[in-house]
Amino acid sequence: MRKPQFWLYYILLVAAQIVIAASLNFSPLVTFWYLPMLVLCMPIRLGTSLTLIIAFVTGLAVDFLSQGVLGLTAASLLPVAFTKNLIIRLVFGSEVFSRGEDISVRRQGIPKMAIAIVMVTAIFLLVFIAADGAGTRPFLFNLGRFSLSLLAGSVFSLILVSIFDPGESSRWK
Amino acid sequence: MPKGQNRKKGIISAAIFIILEVAALNMLSCTNGLQGIWVKRLVYRPLSVLWRGGESVRGYFLLKGQNERLAAENFALSEQLRKAVQSSQASTQFRRDNMLHIPARIVRMSRNSQHNYIILDKGAADGVAPFSGVISDKGVVGIIDVVDEHYSYGLTLMNSAVQVSARLGREGLVAPLSWDGMHSDGALLTSVPLHYEACPGDTVYTSGYSSIFPSDIALGTVQSSGTNHGAMGEVRLKLFQDFSLLKYVTIVRNLDKQVIDSLSAHGEGALK
Repeated sequence: MRKPQFWLYYILLVAAQIVIAASLNFSPLVTFWYLPMLVLCMPIRLGTSLTLIIAFVTGLAVDFLSQGVLGLTAASLLPVAFTKNLIIRLVFGSEVFSRGEDISVRRQGIPKMAIAIVMVTAIFLLVFIAADGAGTRPFLFNLGRFSLSLLAGSVFSLILVSIFDPGESSRWK
Repeated sequence: MPKGQNRKKGIISAAIFIILEVAALNMLSCTNGLQGIWVKRLVYRPLSVLWRGGESVRGYFLLKGQNERLAAENFALSEQLRKAVQSSQASTQFRRDNMLHIPARIVRMSRNSQHNYIILDKGAADGVAPFSGVISDKGVVGIIDVVDEHYSYGLTLMNSAVQVSARLGREGLVAPLSWDGMHSDGALLTSVPLHYEACPGDTVYTSGYSSIFPSDIALGTVQSSGTNHGAMGEVRLKLFQDFSLLKYVTIVRNLDKQVIDSLSAHGEGALK
C-alpha cells in the first residue's frame, strides 16, 4: 500500500470506528476498538512525536464525533503511540527500523502481528476501561470487559490489517 | 543516527506525550464530573505522597527546635514542681534549699574512656560555678570542674574520679556511689557494712550530705549486693539515667556552698 493510500484507508477506518463507537453498543462488556492497530501500522519514519500528535487528533475526533466523553479515546490512544516503537522492537526486532520498512502481515507474519496487536489493544483498553469506569465499577466487571474487548478488538484488528495490508508495495518487497 | 540525537528525540517525544496526555485528561475531567473526580484522585494520590514526604522532612528539621522548646518547658515545669515541694516542706520541716537551677545543653560528652567528661553550653555568664552539680530528670550526671564565660567542663558519673554521696532508700544507709567502669547505666555503692542487706529493687537517692547535689534525687535501683575483697560490702546498681541517651541537663549550684565549705573547714581545723 502506498503512503497516500494508507492515509486514505486510515481516514476511512477512523470514520468507521466513529460509527462503531457511536452505534455498536450491544453489551457494556464488549467494545470494538481497532484504533490501536491503526496507530501501530502508521509509517515508522513518521517518528514518535508526529505519531503522538496524529493519535491525539484521531482520539479527539472519535470522542467528539461519536458523542463520547471528550478526551477519553485521546488519553487512551496516546500511550499506544508512545510505546509503539518499543513494542515493534520487542516483537519484530530492531532490524525493522534499520530497514525502514512499515509493519505488515505479509512481512512480519500473522503470529507476530497478532502479538503486537494484542499488546497495543491491551494498553489502550487498560487506560480506556479505567478512565471510563472512573473507579465506580467493580474489578470483576472491568476484568471481564477488558478480556472480552481485548479478544474482540484484537480479532477485529487482525482481520482488518490482513485485508488492508500496508506492506504490499513496500520498497523491500 | 548518533546516540545523543536519539536521546534528544526520546526526551522531546516524552515531553510531547506528557503534554498531550495532560491535555486529554484535562478535557476528560472538564467535560465529565465522574471522570473529573477520577482524574483528580489520580493526580492527588502521588501528590499526597509527595506532600507527606515533604512534611516528614520539614518535621525532621523542626525537631531540634521542638526539642529545645520541650526542654525549656520541662525545665520550667520541674522548677515549678521543685518550688511547690519546697514550699510544702518548708511549712512542716522548716527546711531551706538554696539551689540555683540552670538548664543546659550538652555540647560534647565522652563515653568511651575511664575518665569521661562533659561540656555544657552554659558558663560563668549564666551563673555556673565550679563544683556545681549536673543533674537530669533521671538522676545525677556529673560535677562541673572548670567554667568558661559561656561553656563549662565537667566530669560525668562515668568517670572513676567521681563519687556521689548516696542513700539506700529514703532513710537508709549513706555510702559513696561511683561508676562500675563498664556500663553506661551501671554504678556501685561501695563501703557498705557487711551486715547491711540491700534488697534488689530498692531505690537509691542522693543523700544531700554534699554541698553539690540536692537531696532525694532518685539515682537508680539495687540489682545485687556482694563483698569487695571480703572487707566491705558492695551494692551493684542500675542507674535510671542511661548516659548514652543524654542531650539536655540541669546545672544545680548551691548558693550556700561557700558558707558550708568554710564551716566544714573551720570544724576540721578545730578538731586538729
